[in-house]
Amino acid sequence: MSSSNNDGARIPAISIKGICKSFASNVVLRGVDLEVYEGDVVALIGGNGAGKSTLMKIIMGIHQPDGGEIEIFGKRVNLSSPSAALANGIYLVPQEPMLFPNMTVEENIVLGFREKRSALHLRLTALVENLGWDLKLDRKADSLSIAEQQLVEILRGLLRDSKILILDEPTSALTFHEIESLFRIVTDLQSNGISIFYITHRLTEVFDIANRVVILRDGQITMEGPVGQFDQEMLIQGLLPPNYQRAAKKEKLCKDFSCADLRPVFEVQNLCGYGFTDISFKVFPGEILGLAGVVGAGRTEFAVAVFGKDIIKSGSVILDGEDITGRKSSVIIEKGLTYVPEDRHLNGIYSIIDVEANVTSGVLEQLNKYFIDKKKANALTDKYIENFRIKVTGRDQLVSSLSGGNQQKVVLAKALAANPKIVILDEPTRGIDAGARGDVYRIIHELKEEGVAVLLISSDIEEIVELSDRVATMYQGRVNHTFQGDCITVDHLMAAAFGVYQEEVTA
Amino acid sequence: MNKLIQAMTETRELFTVAFLVVLFLGTGLVNPSFLSLDNILLCLNGSVIYILLAIGVSFVIIAGDIDVSVGATLGLTAAVCASMIRDGSSLLAASITALTIGAAIGLVNGLGVTKLRIPAIIMTLGVNGVVRGSIYVYTQGKWVENLPAVFKSYGQITLAGFVNLFLLITVLIVTGIHFYLNRANKGKYFAAIGDNVGGATLIGIPVDRTRIIAFVLCGIFAALAGIVFASKIGFVTPTAGSGYEMKAIAACVLGGVSLTGGVGSVVGAMFGAVIMSSISRILVFLQFSSNWDNTITGILLIIIVVADALIQKFFKEKARRERLAARDLKIESILKDTGGESR
Repeated sequence: MSSSNNDGARIPAISIKGICKSFASNVVLRGVDLEVYEGDVVALIGGNGAGKSTLMKIIMGIHQPDGGEIEIFGKRVNLSSPSAALANGIYLVPQEPMLFPNMTVEENIVLGFREKRSALHLRLTALVENLGWDLKLDRKADSLSIAEQQLVEILRGLLRDSKILILDEPTSALTFHEIESLFRIVTDLQSNGISIFYITHRLTEVFDIANRVVILRDGQITMEGPVGQFDQEMLIQGLLPPNYQRAAKKEKLCKDFSCADLRPVFEVQNLCGYGFTDISFKVFPGEILGLAGVVGAGRTEFAVAVFGKDIIKSGSVILDGEDITGRKSSVIIEKGLTYVPEDRHLNGIYSIIDVEANVTSGVLEQLNKYFIDKKKANALTDKYIENFRIKVTGRDQLVSSLSGGNQQKVVLAKALAANPKIVILDEPTRGIDAGARGDVYRIIHELKEEGVAVLLISSDIEEIVELSDRVATMYQGRVNHTFQGDCITVDHLMAAAFGVYQEEVTA
Repeated sequence: MNKLIQAMTETRELFTVAFLVVLFLGTGLVNPSFLSLDNILLCLNGSVIYILLAIGVSFVIIAGDIDVSVGATLGLTAAVCASMIRDGSSLLAASITALTIGAAIGLVNGLGVTKLRIPAIIMTLGVNGVVRGSIYVYTQGKWVENLPAVFKSYGQITLAGFVNLFLLITVLIVTGIHFYLNRANKGKYFAAIGDNVGGATLIGIPVDRTRIIAFVLCGIFAALAGIVFASKIGFVTPTAGSGYEMKAIAACVLGGVSLTGGVGSVVGAMFGAVIMSSISRILVFLQFSSNWDNTITGILLIIIVVADALIQKFFKEKARRERLAARDLKIESILKDTGGESR
């Protein structure tokens, strides 16, 4: 270890060469090359699905790359398992700390070592003292705050003499003061020659903590360099699609929404709950309101609470003039609000039964009182198969045998069979192919024409721009900006979703 | 209220001991002869088989799995051990054979659950059927009896006048395992896997291997229980040990071993086993029919598991809320602290 230090400081601590990875037909990494030196803090940024997590999991030995190689201090290594990565001095601090809640802090840290407990205890207390952290080692892990849990994770890495630490969105659950102390710790580690990958969604942090920036988009590094060469505008640029022409900034300010005199079909007022705070907006009949933001911004938590699946702390939800705050989901559906969840496998489909049973499952009561009226059910199913162009061999095809796009159409059909006044679509096109995506867009437009209001939650900003009449962006649990008309552009939304949009951007 | 629940979950073994004491004292109030030294010793001696089963099962449950094949394993190993001794084998040879069979059954369970990814309840239920059936094949449906008196007398050996040898050995084993699980570097692996599999993988714990070891240990302890069974009872029927799996699992749960994994100790399981094996005796002393035995065991099992699940859910939900609430808080402080910056 020390010999490689003496060989010259320019041997990278880790060097990644041409790493490729796909999951089934989905290409996640397209040849990533990256060198990180001792004492580097590399900010790794990128939108959702850019491949950050996959790259880090490959370094940690959780996934195996399809191609490419990794060198640690100039030596080629085979990271076939997490233990191999640990042995090579790599430690990943996951976004959600992976502690053992029923064990004490010390047990959590020393687990997996071969050394004697007493020796480990001495090293650990020395380490904690050295860092000056106030962390009681005999506390049970489930009594720790998230920040403290992260400290425990970092200690785990340090006690292993890790040379390469990966911090996956470490500040996403921290309070402001905890963030400050984390930054101090990172700076500390950096001066001790530890290399750090710092994954974040917060662009301001990049300038506070990193000395290098790497932007990942679509499985490739689009920009890279010392942090001094960048400003926020450039970071946003790096996150945008490669052939995307930045729209000329509009001179005019956003005009009032033309439907202002209409009655909103759906309105939330100062809604607070777990994961979101003080959300207010209106949706009008026949309007598509996009809700943009990065993962973890609180959009799904908000939608789930509105739908009656989680507690609302304060504020009200009004559907068509009626207060539905805190009602049961079945009542809410009946009143005309439907939620199409983001994970269709988990919450959307009944995969082991046929298309017809899926489509009609939400409206069985309307089909008849005691027995299902087969004719009505058939007609309803046929209508959706035809309208949505669901590719099936028949009404009786099992949903599990359909492609992802067709499954999603079945989920939409199920939701829309209930004749809602407003639909909340959570990531409606995640993981489906381009053709099906077009069909889903068409379905959304048809809904709009029928006067149904749509609340579109999507992490795909281009999708939001394409579909929405108005857009609200959520950042850390709050709606931080709303956009309409010409102001809805990819770069505005991207900036707002990352919390760095400035109202009076000069042209 | 929160404090109370927290305290209860942290001192689960104490809770079990308290329950045991209250149960015995309560029975003694109704029928004072229950509290005689002789009777209490009978209760403790009678629990050896359950304690051994519960030790094995607690390894598996703590690692997050379940094993319902221990009753049949006990029956088969008891039958094999007893028939070998009846036919003139040495105790050592018979014991080694029985323990090997137990280990093999555990290995099959472990491989099925880890490598073939069969849910533990299904895998061990199937193995339970296979093993139970093989007892009938092995014994041709007959009882194994006429065991040598020497072999039967092992169960009666007492030290210092009243301490049963088997009980003493069992308590020593429990103490040893308790020490191993809490102090040894690898002892915590079982609880770690049951607590958080993802986290265990991430710090390099060999998850599959440890789970297989848990199943093998469970089989070995069931075989040990089978040998004790043959010696204490003195004959082995083809149905020997059926229903014991429920008692063993109930003993673990009663002793504070959480069915969701990660929590519990063999000491707790031991006290749970004492309670379980005493229920039928308590019923007799309370002048109930001991036919209620299994019903009460089942009811206890369900009550404890449901209470445990509710407590776990409560804490999980609380943790999730705190996590999401931390985000809200942070935003307020950021707005206050860096309000000027985002202008």
